Amino acid sequence: MASKLWATKAASCLRISVFHRGFATVLKDLKYADSHEWVKVEGNSATVGITDHAQDHLGDVVYVELPEVGAAVKQGASFGAVESVKATSDINSPISGKVVEINKELHDSPGLVNASAYENGWIIKVEVNNSNELNSLMDSDQYAKFCEEEDAKH
Amino acid sequence: MRVPRSLEVWKMGVVNYSEALKLQEKLTADRKIHKITDTLLSLQHPPTYTLGKRRTDHNLLVSEPELKAMGAELHYTQRGGDITFHGPHQAVLYPIISLRDVGLGARKYVENLELTMIELASLYGVQACAGQKGETGVWVGERKIGAIGVRISSGITSHGLAFNINPDLNYFKHIVPCGIADKEVTSLQKEAERVVPPEEVIHDQLIACFIRIFGYTDVISKDSASISSYNLEN
Repeated sequence: MASKLWATKAASCLRISVFHRGFATVLKDLKYADSHEWVKVEGNSATVGITDHAQDHLGDVVYVELPEVGAAVKQGASFGAVESVKATSDINSPISGKVVEINKELHDSPGLVNASAYENGWIIKVEVNNSNELNSLMDSDQYAKFCEEEDAKH
Repeated sequence: MRVPRSLEVWKMGVVNYSEALKLQEKLTADRKIHKITDTLLSLQHPPTYTLGKRRTDHNLLVSEPELKAMGAELHYTQRGGDITFHGPHQAVLYPIISLRDVGLGARKYVENLELTMIELASLYGVQACAGQKGETGVWVGERKIGAIGVRISSGITSHGLAFNINPDLNYFKHIVPCGIADKEVTSLQKEAERVVPPEEVIHDQLIACFIRIFGYTDVISKDSASISSYNLEN
């Protein structure tokens, strides 16, 4: 019990919401798509990856298909894919814009997506077209609830 | 209380790989916009080798002309997984289902596909199990009896599983199956103690296992007339 209390206190210091039901972390200050991608916006630059919930449900990622630098991405449209357990899953962009950087580490270390979904496992960086699009995304509390509801379906 | 879940089953006989792929693309698009319900294609292919998104063609041990001379086709696909062979007497299931509607992730979905084949094998006293880490599929000891390769696009699945009823296993000699060297491929007929019933029975049993494991409550079977009319309409 004491360790759970400690965990919750530590979590609020680190600005993490802790699930007591599952183990997926959700970070505050990020925005989330219902296809389980996250986006961190700094000015008109955005970093995109998949969430902890997503990587947990995918299994061990063995391959990441990345777009070319300079490619256009569109909110809700696929820009790449990950492969795990013999399944390729499309990754959709939470925002529209132009790809300015891709995470080349993922070529040799696709497992970073599992090990560090919000940090070293980032996938692309985007120059954002239209920051209004962020309004249609979920905040951390909404996303946490969304995941709980989805997981309760089976 | 169980939520009612509908599935439409299409029993298709032998279908050319490209045709099946085109059909799956149409069905996936329709499923995404909720035009159709979850759909399951049950079929076989003529001799066909396929590669996944990673294009691991170093695991193809013959050239494409040699392959064609054997009467086989080669296809590059967007599914996960390595190289495999499909052919007569191998039961193929392509579920086009919405994972979001049922709250399943890729890992759990693939586990359920493995369980579907494991259950079918057990009907014939064959003890199969899921692969070790990184070896998705269904095994009888060190021998592979069922393969999986899936694509998930906006939460809708396509491609699926292939279960060896009694295919000509020599075709597998021309590839490193699923990229795993030194492991044999086997079939239900090879592993079972008795002669297995006609393939239609096995296909039906495989479908029944799928329905049970995925919890479908309302199942409609589509006959070939309505399958042709779907193709013509779209």
